[in-house]
Amino acid sequence: MSLEHDNWKGTTGGMPWMQRTLIKWLSVIDQRVIYVVMAVVVPWYMLLGHRCYLAIYHFYRRDRHESWWRAFVHSYVNHFRFGQVVIDRFAAFGGKQFRFMFDAEQQEAYLDLGRQPEGFVQVSCHMGNYELAGYSMRQESKRMYPLVFMGETETMMLNRQKLFADHNIEMVPVSDDMSHIFALNNALRDGNIASMPGDRVFGSPKAIACRMMDGVCDLPAGPFQMAVTRDCALTAVFVMKERWDTYRVWCYVMRPDLSLDKRQRVAQLAQRFADLMTEMIDRYPTQWFNYFDFIRYEDD
Amino acid sequence: MNIEELKNQIIDALNLEDLKPEDIDNDAPLFGEGLGLDSIDALELIVLMEKYYGIKLQNPAEGKQIFKSVNCMAEYIDAHRTK
Repeated sequence: MSLEHDNWKGTTGGMPWMQRTLIKWLSVIDQRVIYVVMAVVVPWYMLLGHRCYLAIYHFYRRDRHESWWRAFVHSYVNHFRFGQVVIDRFAAFGGKQFRFMFDAEQQEAYLDLGRQPEGFVQVSCHMGNYELAGYSMRQESKRMYPLVFMGETETMMLNRQKLFADHNIEMVPVSDDMSHIFALNNALRDGNIASMPGDRVFGSPKAIACRMMDGVCDLPAGPFQMAVTRDCALTAVFVMKERWDTYRVWCYVMRPDLSLDKRQRVAQLAQRFADLMTEMIDRYPTQWFNYFDFIRYEDD
Repeated sequence: MNIEELKNQIIDALNLEDLKPEDIDNDAPLFGEGLGLDSIDALELIVLMEKYYGIKLQNPAEGKQIFKSVNCMAEYIDAHRTK
């Protein structure tokens, strides 16, 4: 069975009024109360959202070679963690402050990049809680332009905009008229940051096949090709949940190898990102939130 | 403006090794039908205009007109090139 990408939209669930209510609640109550309620609700969610459950169970069983029992437990924890990061996002909308820990060397390399006149491309993926990184990874001299898919509700978009406005961030919606490409190119040319997911093929259908675990995954060509074409650095940022109020930010700076031809440089950056995702999965196995068969095999 | 040279630059920027300049119709649409380019290719063309002709495209509406065909690109380059 193959669970296709289209079955998993990656948008935040719930009606707008529910999301607004949750934000109000979280502005007055501790989010741990909601975590406790969620621990009870998760099994029902796994039962009702059967396709997501199967996809993630496959991931642990087939891709990570776990026993059925361990894969089942990890699937439960994965759903719980996913709920936690969504709640944390709403808590942040409601004014909650989180703690972010950085590796000093990685943080310095990232800040140093921000001090250079050139812009850079930043890639993220559906692991941990990247959206919260916007609140923690401010670059004094650079504005960030994240590419966003306009599938979220108005409540989500308005709250994002409100929070991002204070953090030197301006969202760039994917558009049929390709205006997003002009916006991202302008951002890089002006020495700013173009941020986009490195694990989801949308906008352009072009993809790069990369080795991942024992199989192959298709990563979008966009972010890697953009870094190579504009000859700028590429950063991979992962924001991973460690405690109820604490996230650890992992940040890697990569540069295209100029001794390779253009196509090889794009492939090299994409492969490096796939390797980093694998490393992160090994560190945080229950924070992988791609609910479809991300990795394919020759016999699929 | 040398159309053949522009076509070679397009082939090179977009890695269209299977194509020769004469395979590209001067008036055929570059996006959708015709060459069938997409948004990532648009970035390559924007950077090509900047790198070879010093033209910094900022406006998507303008881009739509310029990238209609090779002839449209050539006309725009003739009128706006700085190098």
